[in-house]
Amino acid sequence: MNVLYGLYHPDSGEIAFDGAPVRIRTPQDAIARGVGMVHQHFTLVPNLTVAENVVLGDEPTRLGLLDLDAAVRTVDETCKRLGFTLDARARVDRLTVGSQQKVEIVKALRRGAKTIILDEPTAVLTPQETEDLFRITKQLSDGGAAVVLITHKLRDVLAFATRIAVMRRGKKVAEVKPEETSEVQLAEQMVGGTEPGPLTPSLSPPRGEGAPFLMLENVTAPGLHDVTLDVRAGEILGIAGVDGNGQRELAEVVTGLRPLTKGAVKLGETSWPHLTPAQARAAGVAHIPEDRLHRALVSDMSVEENAALGRQHLPPFARGPFIDFEGRRARTAALLEANDVRPRDPLARAGSLSGGNQQKLVVGRELDTNPKLLVVVQPTRGLDIAAVNAVRARLREQARAGCAVLLVSLDLEEVLALADRVVVMFEGRLNGTFARGDCDERELGRRMLGAQA
Amino acid sequence: MLEILDALVNSTLEAAPALVFAALGAVLSERAGVVNVGVEGMMRAGAFVAAVAALAMPTPAGVLLGMAAGGALAALHAWLCIRWRADQVVSGMAINLVMLALGTFVLEARFSPNGTPSITQLDRYLPGVPFIGGLTALTLLAIVAPFALHAVIQRTRFGLRLRAAGEKPQAVAAMGVSVSRLRFLAVVCGGTLAGLGGAALSVATLDRFEHHMPAGLGFMAVAAMVFGRWTPLGAAGAAVFFSFGNALRIGLTSSAPGVLEVVPQGFLLALPYLLTLVLLAAQKKGAGRAPAALGTPYDPELR
Amino acid sequence: MRRALPSIFSVLAALLISFIAAALTLGDLGQAGNAYLAMLQGAIGDWPRFFETGNPATVLRPIGEAGTKAALLTLTGLSVAVAFRVGLFNIGAQGQLIVGALGAAFIGAHLQLPSALHVTLALLFAALLGCAWALVATALKLWRGVHEVISTIMLNWVAVSLVENWLVVGPLRATASGTNSLSGTAQIHATAQLPRVVADYSRLNLGFFLAVALAVLITVWMQRTRAGYEARAVGLAPKAAEAAGVNVGRRLFEAMAVSGALAGLAGGILILGTELKYPATLASPYGFDGIAIALIGQSHPLGALGTALVFGALRAGGTHMQLFGVHKSFPELIQGLALLLVAARLFWERLLAPKGAR
Repeated sequence: MNVLYGLYHPDSGEIAFDGAPVRIRTPQDAIARGVGMVHQHFTLVPNLTVAENVVLGDEPTRLGLLDLDAAVRTVDETCKRLGFTLDARARVDRLTVGSQQKVEIVKALRRGAKTIILDEPTAVLTPQETEDLFRITKQLSDGGAAVVLITHKLRDVLAFATRIAVMRRGKKVAEVKPEETSEVQLAEQMVGGTEPGPLTPSLSPPRGEGAPFLMLENVTAPGLHDVTLDVRAGEILGIAGVDGNGQRELAEVVTGLRPLTKGAVKLGETSWPHLTPAQARAAGVAHIPEDRLHRALVSDMSVEENAALGRQHLPPFARGPFIDFEGRRARTAALLEANDVRPRDPLARAGSLSGGNQQKLVVGRELDTNPKLLVVVQPTRGLDIAAVNAVRARLREQARAGCAVLLVSLDLEEVLALADRVVVMFEGRLNGTFARGDCDERELGRRMLGAQA
Repeated sequence: MLEILDALVNSTLEAAPALVFAALGAVLSERAGVVNVGVEGMMRAGAFVAAVAALAMPTPAGVLLGMAAGGALAALHAWLCIRWRADQVVSGMAINLVMLALGTFVLEARFSPNGTPSITQLDRYLPGVPFIGGLTALTLLAIVAPFALHAVIQRTRFGLRLRAAGEKPQAVAAMGVSVSRLRFLAVVCGGTLAGLGGAALSVATLDRFEHHMPAGLGFMAVAAMVFGRWTPLGAAGAAVFFSFGNALRIGLTSSAPGVLEVVPQGFLLALPYLLTLVLLAAQKKGAGRAPAALGTPYDPELR
Repeated sequence: MRRALPSIFSVLAALLISFIAAALTLGDLGQAGNAYLAMLQGAIGDWPRFFETGNPATVLRPIGEAGTKAALLTLTGLSVAVAFRVGLFNIGAQGQLIVGALGAAFIGAHLQLPSALHVTLALLFAALLGCAWALVATALKLWRGVHEVISTIMLNWVAVSLVENWLVVGPLRATASGTNSLSGTAQIHATAQLPRVVADYSRLNLGFFLAVALAVLITVWMQRTRAGYEARAVGLAPKAAEAAGVNVGRRLFEAMAVSGALAGLAGGILILGTELKYPATLASPYGFDGIAIALIGQSHPLGALGTALVFGALRAGGTHMQLFGVHKSFPELIQGLALLLVAARLFWERLLAPKGAR
């Protein structure tokens, strides 16, 4: 799809519109051909308004100056046509994720898009917002537009596509109609075997008989209000919620990266009102953050130097105030081998590894500390199917071995696949706790959007 | 009393244009996402070229050449930062250091260490009028420019794209607009303004290029930009305020010589710089966020 | 070693480009050549003449001059490099150098102690003052979020104003005595002077060896200690360092303290080794040069040392170029050019990337 939008260039092959072959070299070419793309990570300018974002690059003018009123009118018209409302003068960073996505769609349509590509649009939406989205796409396709949906969520694919193309390793391996196939079949075709697809939840019974390791009681911090929860040894507690409702802040508080204004973080027997990352680590907390490149790894340092992060003052990485080069090398080599990180080169620059290998390195490093609590945020972001499976398997393994796991994920399906208990967060507060089996997706969706019990 | 006030206002208006232009130049560049600490060097270039050119041609023409000098340096900065993804602070400092060396070198090799020969300064209008008397065209320009720049940034297509490029260049690129070209233009225009600021120093405030010019004024302009929250009006306001601090110092020493008995001259000389520090320190932490993409070279493959 | 290539190439390219520029300005290739030769001889010695006359001064004096300058450039270069490594732009080396210089001049003139103690105390005081001056900017950054580029530069100007326009002409001014010139502070006592190495032939003093030793020490600190590793992590990825339990504030503080101390020390060595008092105005911009040295040396302590040696030599030779019509500040131009070239980082990355990787 990036090729279609002019962001990457094809090495061979042909693109044709209405039977006529074309060359697309830049997004401008693609836009001229009526191709619009809604990326997985939105390309909206946060502190500009909806109208400004929509007209960027093709702004209406009056007497040489920007005509924002005309822009607002265009936005209003398009919204009406598609059946939703947006405040065209609102700043984009004040909107919900679902609304931002709508802005992206309006943006694409304004350029006269007849082909609209949606890249993983439902990964961060609640079930209700997903329904809303597909109503819109149906409107679009009824109006004659071609809609391309890129997604790994098989249920969504079956519910709303008229034709399905399955890709694996850069090739198209199948093309079917939804009524002719099933989730299991699609999963097989995607992965090329009969290993359980990424969406098969673990079938083992709910765990969590161990003693609580992490305890938060009426904890308040910037972004969190009066949070009380605990995570027990051997259980995976999933935090569900729409982006920006305090999940990240929760993870930061537990790992010592965010100061508390009230309450304390209790790890095991000790209570910490002012936890620092060093103290958290010493107490047995490991952290697999969302932003690997900036929070977990130093891109410009070698794999070996990165392997030491978090334990740089301890043997085998250090001997007193000095670095223990042999010890570090040996431990790194073992880590790389045990976690199948490629290439097996301790001196490679960490930034040169692929996303999947970087994550394997980070996960391997953190788990090597034998943590009592593992805090994971968005662990499978940006990974391919094989890597996703591998990471999820590791997490389950850790829990089975007695570790307490705090999982934050914006992908509700992932939370449901992994968690023994689910906690919903809304606006920095907890809005419901559910055990596995008690979870109804729709109910969770409601809670995520703020509805009370 | 009124005379002191008159002197102060006059002094401020004398010194302000240079700082205002430089601050506006910095704003333009940084709003687009490119850090520009090279303003000092660009001012130096503008001051030198204007003063030397004015020896052989009408002063206003010299000013134009000074602007071009600033713009040329800015083009170099933009090229290094945009095309070669140099560290933007390093590139700016490199330009400052080169201009420091070059300025001294050419000055001492061709002229005298004391400065270039005297030139005819710009015309002054309304002599004798209290407060605003004796001002040059540049002062008027310095009053108009902040508003003009504000209008450009907020109300034109270029301005919208500029702001977007400084916050989230990916959004601009996704709409098919060239981030590089946009940033290049912003930086060069900013440098031209800085050059104008330098020219104002050597051609209006003084009548020659001096050894130390602009003596830290370029950095003060950057400070004014920060203090003014990266907006043209804010930066200009801050620049005027800093100029006032400067004027206060000059005013104190000349109109109240008794002051020198009590306060050593060193303190007075340090006053404007200390004032800048104090003001920056007193700002609320995190107030007036810099453009989000400031300082990060735009990499089309990172998403 | 491969990482040193951009620096080496930049310096060589800068030498070449400025040679061409000099030739064009002079209009005479031969004269430019002579000027460069003069610079070289002024830098590393007039060896042909040495072999002719056997007079050590022809070689030792230039080398001594080069070493003297190189020592100061090394220290200010190290100062800026240490700060860069931790992600801070310490542009205030000049101000830190000035206060350090004044401190050394003070101790040197107003105390009388046995030589070894006197020198050590004066140098320590210089380092301490430089350190304190740097920490003002650090405190402003850590507690009020003031960007250190602006604060260190403002502090430079404050230092110059307070030192040269108040202290040196006021309370610390030299009193008239005999034939001593009156400008600046009092002459330091002989016991405070840095011992000269080959005293009869050159001005090279102990400061040179101190600078080299510090360069090595800092390299060890950065590459081999845990503290150095943490500092580097802070400079490269502060968020990752924080999440790894590194005390970021402490590392920043330490680095700036060391940075300021090094620049202050440079000031001390300047006074105790060369100037022997704080003069009316300390014209040498070694503090600013330190920035260029550090950057050309890519912020590596040994890189800074190497660069400082090269440019110290060039600067020593610069005065000899005047005979051929080239102004003595020509080497500063070469330095500036090299800096601009090194800054084009991507250019070097592309050029030096292993073929096929990319």
